[in-house]
Amino acid sequence: MDAVVVADALGHAYGDIVALHHVTLEIPPGRVGLVGANGAGKTTLIRILLGILDPTLGSVLVLGSDPQRDATAVRARVGYMPEGDCLPLSQTAADFMVYAAELAGIPGKAARQRASDVLTLVGLHEERFRQLSEFSTGMKQRAKLAQAIVHDPDLVLLDEPTAGLDPEGRDEMLGLIARLGGFGINVITSSHVLTDIERTCDWVVMLDGGSVLREGPLTSLLDTDTVEIELFDDPTAVAETLNRAGADVTVTHGTIAVQVDRDDTYDLIRDTLAAANVAVRRMGTRAQTLEDVFLRSEEGMP
Amino acid sequence: MSERGAVYDLGYKPHEGPRLGRGAAVRVTVKDGLRRMFGLRRRARKKILPFLLLGIAVLPAIVFVGFLFLASQIATGDFADTPFANHAAYFDIVAGTVLLFCALSGPELLIPDRVEGVLAVYSSRPMTVFDYLGARAGALGIGVGFFVLVPQIVLYVGLASLRDGGFLTNLITNAEDLFQVVLATVVYLVAYGAPAFLVAVYAKRLAPATGVYLGAFFGLQAVADGFTSTGNRLAAIAALADHPGVVRDWIFDSTSVDLVPTRADLAPWVSLVVIAAVGALALAAAVRRYRTLL
Repeated sequence: MDAVVVADALGHAYGDIVALHHVTLEIPPGRVGLVGANGAGKTTLIRILLGILDPTLGSVLVLGSDPQRDATAVRARVGYMPEGDCLPLSQTAADFMVYAAELAGIPGKAARQRASDVLTLVGLHEERFRQLSEFSTGMKQRAKLAQAIVHDPDLVLLDEPTAGLDPEGRDEMLGLIARLGGFGINVITSSHVLTDIERTCDWVVMLDGGSVLREGPLTSLLDTDTVEIELFDDPTAVAETLNRAGADVTVTHGTIAVQVDRDDTYDLIRDTLAAANVAVRRMGTRAQTLEDVFLRSEEGMP
Repeated sequence: MSERGAVYDLGYKPHEGPRLGRGAAVRVTVKDGLRRMFGLRRRARKKILPFLLLGIAVLPAIVFVGFLFLASQIATGDFADTPFANHAAYFDIVAGTVLLFCALSGPELLIPDRVEGVLAVYSSRPMTVFDYLGARAGALGIGVGFFVLVPQIVLYVGLASLRDGGFLTNLITNAEDLFQVVLATVVYLVAYGAPAFLVAVYAKRLAPATGVYLGAFFGLQAVADGFTSTGNRLAAIAALADHPGVVRDWIFDSTSVDLVPTRADLAPWVSLVVIAAVGALALAAAVRRYRTLL
C-alpha cells in the first residue's frame, strides 16, 4: 500500500521561529509514532497535514492529496484527536458523536448507529446520554478518541492522547490505540512519552528542533549490535579469549558486551563459550528503549 | 453442541455506505446552529429566552389578526388597512426582539466552538472556513427569519382574509408585500446579525459578548441621537439600530419620523451603505480570525 504521508523538504516558520525545517519523510500505513520533546514541531506537522497551516516551504501529500490545495479531500478521510479540549460541554456524548459523524458526510441513520458502536468501543456506552461537561478527564479523552474515529477515517491523527490521564486511564487509552490498527485505520500518534509509542506503534519518526532525527521501523530502531553475556563464573577469561580472537569486547559489572561487527561474531561467541565450558546465566541482544535511541540520536550517536 | 448462548465480540464495523460530502457538512452545521440558538437538545434553561423572545415577536401578530377579525364581525369598514397592523409597522414591533435574539445567538453560534476547542473537530471534516462561517451565518439567518417571517406570514394571511375580493385572490395580488418583507428581513439580519458576529469573533465568553453588543448598539444610538439634535447630521451614521428601519421605510415606501437618520435627513442609501459596510467588516474579521483556526 502507498505511504499515508509523503513530505518533501517541508518547512514552517511562525515569524522568525522555525517550527519545521526541511522535513522529508515517507510514513507507511500502520501505526506510526511521532515523537519529540515539547516544541519539536509535532503539532505544527499535524496542523499542516490537516490543512490548517500552510507550509512555508516544501510540499506534503496526505493519503495522496495535497492538504494545501485540496484540504477538504484530505479532511474527508482523516480523524483528529487534538491535545487540548474539543468537546462541546453543553451536549450529550451521543448527540455530539452523531453530529461528528454527520459532519463527515455519514447519513443520519448510519451516523446514529456508528455513534452508538464507537461509544461502546471506547467504553462510554453507559454514559452516552450524559452531558460532556460531567465527564471526567479519562472519559473526555475517550470521547475525544471516539469523535476521531466515528466517521471511519482512513487515517487518524492523535496528538498526545494520554495527556492528563492516570496510569489506569493511560493503560486503557493505549489499549484502544493499539486496537485501531486492527480496524484498518492508519494511526499517527504524536507523543513525547516514548514508552507510549513503544507500546502502540510499529514505525517511529523522531523530531527534534523541527527536523527529522531518525525514522524507521520500531524493531530496527530498538535493535542494537551488541550481544550481552552474563556468566555464573568470572567473565575475565572468556572476555580475554574473545578479545584475542579479534572481537570488540568490554566488561562492565560482570557482563561481557561483544560488538557484532563481523559476520562470524555469533559463531565466535558460541565456540568460545563452548571451549571455556562455562555456565551461562543470560545471553542476548542488548535491550534498548526508544528513550535510549532518542538521546543517542540527539547526541549525534548512531 | 452446547445449548447455552454465546457472546461474540462484534469488533469494529467499517462504514460501507455513502458519504455525503461537503454540502451535508454545511447542512448539519446549520442544523446544529439552530439547535444551539433555540436551546434544542440542551437543558431547559437554554430554551427559555429564545422561545420567550419568539413568543413576544409572534403573539402581537396573532392578537392583531384576531382583534381585526372580531372587529370585522361586529362592525363594517376596511379593517385590513389599519395603521398599526401592516407589514412595515410590524418590523418596529419585532426589531427589539430580533436585536436581543442576535445579541444572544451570535455569541452562542461562534464562541463555544472556539473556546471549547470544537473547531479542531471541524478541521478534520470536509469543510472550509467559508463553509463553517457560512453555515453559522445561515443558521442565524433562519433564526431571524423565524422571528420576522412567522408573524409577518400570520399578518399576511390574516389581512388577506379580511380584505374584499376573496382570500386566495388577495394572497396572490398582495404577493409583492411578501417580497418586500423578505427583502427587509435580510436588511435586519445583516444590520443586527453582522455586529453580533463581529463581537463573537473576538469575545471569549457569552454574557460579556451579549453585553458588549447591546452596549455598543444603545451607546452609539444615544451618541448619534445627542449629536444629531445639536445639528451634527453625520453623527446619525452611528445610529446602527435605526438604519434597518430607514431602509425598511425605503422598501415599503413608508415613513417613520422617530428614526435618527431620518431626522438628520440622511438619504436611505446611506443607511444601506452603513449596513453593508458593517456586514463586510464582520465577514472580513471572521475570515481573518478563523483562517488559522480551521
